[in-house]
Amino acid sequence: MSGVDVAGDADVPLRLVDVTKRYEGGGGTVTALSDVDFTVRSGEVVAVIGPSGSGKSTMLNLLGLLDDPSEGRVELHGDPVAGRSPRERTDVRREGVGFVFQDFHLIPTLSAVENVRLPTAFLPGDDTERAADLLTRVGLGERLEHTPDELSGGQKQRVAIARSLINRPDVLLADEPTGNLDRDTGVAVLEEIREIASNGVGVVAVTHDDLVTEYADRTVELVDGVLSDA
Amino acid sequence: MRERLGKVAAFPALTLALRNLSRQRLRAALAALGIVIGVFAVVSLGMLGTALQTAATDELGGLGNQVIVSPAENGPDSLNSRDLRTIERAAADRGSVIPLKSTAGTVTGPGGQTVGQVYGARNPRALFGGGPGVPRYHRSGAVVGRETAESLGARVGSTLTIEGNDYRVVGVFETDGPTISPLQASSAVVLPPDEFTGSGYSQVVVEAESSSAADAVAASVRNALNARTERVSVFSLSSILDTVTEFFGLLNGFLLAVAGISLVVAGVSIFNVMLMTVSERRGEIGVLRAVGIHRDEVLRTLLAEATLLGVSGGALGTLLGALGVVAIALNTELPLDAVLVPTNALVCLGAFAFGGAVALVGGLYPAYRAAWEPPVESLRG
Repeated sequence: MSGVDVAGDADVPLRLVDVTKRYEGGGGTVTALSDVDFTVRSGEVVAVIGPSGSGKSTMLNLLGLLDDPSEGRVELHGDPVAGRSPRERTDVRREGVGFVFQDFHLIPTLSAVENVRLPTAFLPGDDTERAADLLTRVGLGERLEHTPDELSGGQKQRVAIARSLINRPDVLLADEPTGNLDRDTGVAVLEEIREIASNGVGVVAVTHDDLVTEYADRTVELVDGVLSDA
Repeated sequence: MRERLGKVAAFPALTLALRNLSRQRLRAALAALGIVIGVFAVVSLGMLGTALQTAATDELGGLGNQVIVSPAENGPDSLNSRDLRTIERAAADRGSVIPLKSTAGTVTGPGGQTVGQVYGARNPRALFGGGPGVPRYHRSGAVVGRETAESLGARVGSTLTIEGNDYRVVGVFETDGPTISPLQASSAVVLPPDEFTGSGYSQVVVEAESSSAADAVAASVRNALNARTERVSVFSLSSILDTVTEFFGLLNGFLLAVAGISLVVAGVSIFNVMLMTVSERRGEIGVLRAVGIHRDEVLRTLLAEATLLGVSGGALGTLLGALGVVAIALNTELPLDAVLVPTNALVCLGAFAFGGAVALVGGLYPAYRAAWEPPVESLRG
């Protein structure tokens, strides 16, 4: 499934075309990304590796429509994203993108199941059953009512993964999905990610961890804002 | 177990807000306490002000509607029938005219003796109100005030001796009437006017329909009778009553303004607490935005938080304030009736709404700032 080269736009949920991102800082202009071309295809797991400060998080933010490029364009199913209102971008994230953050970023006052259904909490209908099923799928069926401080790091990460899937996303964007986990837990999480990709979800995982690359269909490397195949 | 899940389902903004408030209970309680104190101040001062005004107005009663015409100091001894007709013309359509004869006299009853004002009037009911046996058309006997009846040991059927003549008590006035009026129902003794010698009247009382009508009657009586010489003196309390009412209005406004300031201070503390809350939760708000919660939904959640503080503080403050004023009324001479008037329900409702609104406004800017921040920024924490 990794070798889908003739992907039509339907199979390319997200694409960065000639993207450059600069930040104006106190010490002058910093170029975080430089002429990056990057495609996420449905069903593949892409690992993005690179040293700290190489622009990995910036790339993830651009893919998640959280930020705009200075040059170039971001395409969503073949359509340029530029010019979409904050509301439309939020809708895209709500309906088509799943986020897994490095520090899990769970809401401490909500139970596991409530955290999982948070992205759809303001939509009509009740996704509680689906949230419980997702948690069961990641092995937390017995921890539905636990709050984050009652869960271990690996369990929190799995709650975060379940949360990223509640909206049936086309793309899963994961920042250091194994960053805070021991090896065994990391393997469990990565197997879950593979399983998700096999259901047609495009996964982009930004990582320092070689373990992630073992589970990826392809790995790209970002050095000083320049992307190349690893 | 599944039934217990998904508590966020029905009212996501409200539930999230409640959970967030539960994180920093002390801080939330202190912010709400500000609103409690502010609303308490508005409710208690507002209700007390209204109660005082109501009590005073009740006490003064229809006083402002009364015009009393009596002979001027250097004028005639009594008012004649021409004066009466002039007054009747002035009062036409504005109220009823009650001619009065009066004299000070010794009154002796079965249980005592008193020196009191004895009036002669055809219709004592129009003047002093009703009571057991008080006639509409006074032909014979005496009608006495409550206080006089008590001090004389008299009741309906007793015999009174007034200036050497015997009169049977036919009625007792029920009400005491306004305490400031020169005509006192409670100490009055009213006889039929025929019992008085002479054809003149010592006073003519006009019961006008309103205080403005009383003003008009007083003015036209002065015009008609005092044009050339000071023939009559016209006594009217309507302007004094207006001044009293105005004073209470001013006093109420002042008290409410002072109380309002404390509520505004409470609003500032809500503002401060919300500002702290959103800066502590910046990262979380970034996550909400990143996973697809709209800006207005985040805003709603944060505003629900501020409003919850205001509504809970406002409810408690209103309750305490109302109970406090009722307790004051029960333990002082302030009548409870004067407290339990519709205006005070409005005061409570208004103060409660004001408390909620102040909290909402206090939360507006912090909530807006947090919700509108680009998620990339907030995610950096």
